[in-house]
Amino acid sequence: MSSKNLLLKGLLLWYVIFSLVMAISPADRQFWVLASVLPALLVTGLVVTHQAFPLSTMTYILITLYLTLHTIGVHYTYSKVPMGTWLGQILDLNRNHFDRLVHFSFGFLLTYPLEELFRRLSDIRGWLLYYLPAMTIVGLSGIWEILESWVARIARPDLGLAVLGSQGDIWDAQKDMTAALYGSLLSIALIIIVRKLMQPQAFATEDTAAGSLLEEESAEPS
Amino acid sequence: MTGGADRFAHNRVLQGLAAWYLFIWIVLAISPLDRQDWLLENLLALTTVGLLLWSYRTFQFSNLSYVLITLFMTLHAIGAHYTYSEVPIGFWMKEAFGLSRNHFDRIVHFAFGLLLAYPAHELFLRAARAKEPWASFFAITAVLSLSGFFEVIESWVAQIVSPELGQAYLGTQGDIWDAQKDMTVALVGAVVTIGLTRMSKFPFGSVITPAH
Repeated sequence: MSSKNLLLKGLLLWYVIFSLVMAISPADRQFWVLASVLPALLVTGLVVTHQAFPLSTMTYILITLYLTLHTIGVHYTYSKVPMGTWLGQILDLNRNHFDRLVHFSFGFLLTYPLEELFRRLSDIRGWLLYYLPAMTIVGLSGIWEILESWVARIARPDLGLAVLGSQGDIWDAQKDMTAALYGSLLSIALIIIVRKLMQPQAFATEDTAAGSLLEEESAEPS
Repeated sequence: MTGGADRFAHNRVLQGLAAWYLFIWIVLAISPLDRQDWLLENLLALTTVGLLLWSYRTFQFSNLSYVLITLFMTLHAIGAHYTYSEVPIGFWMKEAFGLSRNHFDRIVHFAFGLLLAYPAHELFLRAARAKEPWASFFAITAVLSLSGFFEVIESWVAQIVSPELGQAYLGTQGDIWDAQKDMTVALVGAVVTIGLTRMSKFPFGSVITPAH
């Protein structure tokens, strides 16, 4: 238990310090403020609910990974992330694809946390437990695209599609949502494979014990 | 336990709905504005009808749900006949309210959320046995994600069928934020319906449980 708590404190410390460093002279302060509101709310929520409803270590790690990627993107206003520019030069792409990568990560990294949430709170069992997280990822991606379009129309009505989020691509929103869906499907496939390998019987009988596999993983080192 | 066919034989409402949809579908299948677009739009409609027929044996929605689904399918059949962007009532609205384009498709996106959130809610409550507030949450999320998924498919079709047309494609009608607006109205429709369902004093429980 204590090693788990130590790890969680480490994750939180990492995120706070990294956020502070990335808060120093971002490429666009206005964008940085807007895009930092939701992560701040999420982290606060996780810290507040930790005592009453502790999530698995895997979930906290995945969320930290995702937020780290997002923090990098926000610092460079996404379309100017050096790694994306570098990728663009190497692979001869027409734009900075770092944001597409983060959309994919949104699906890939946050599917398991959603699955855990639904499994432990909603009484849903069976294949729906694998369908609903992917569905929710697509829905949340859609909400993100909606928010992005509002910000674009309110803050920069003159820019239209040249605005940061879409970088001039008329199908940008659809591609972002597709990327998130692919990430989510890959994650679901991995979860199913891991569970099958680790506890075939429990998986077959749809036992709740199968769900706690990934938590047990973190308990082993202690 | 009575079989699906037996239940259908005793359900006058459902018979009426099936007869209505069959009638309106055939009428609107006669010389649509664009046969290719009509076929494309009906691919989804026929899949839905097929799923409803196939699942009827094991799962029956309440009559209220079937009424709502039929309403939506009727709107969609009208839209498909006129390739959505040329539905007469849309043109009438455009002139009456001084709108920039035919908004019939936006209305159907709103109707998607407004009319289908209730059946989705019922599905999660009864088939998946989800408790509240999860059933409500999943119903709204299902509408939102299906809207998003539909926009993705629409963009694929647009890129395959008419890559050079791009934005002028029927779905977006020249609006760069079309996809986001479509998803927003569907979301609003779903939230309204779920809100009404949860707040209503109407005993939905008796409607939800089909009569035996």
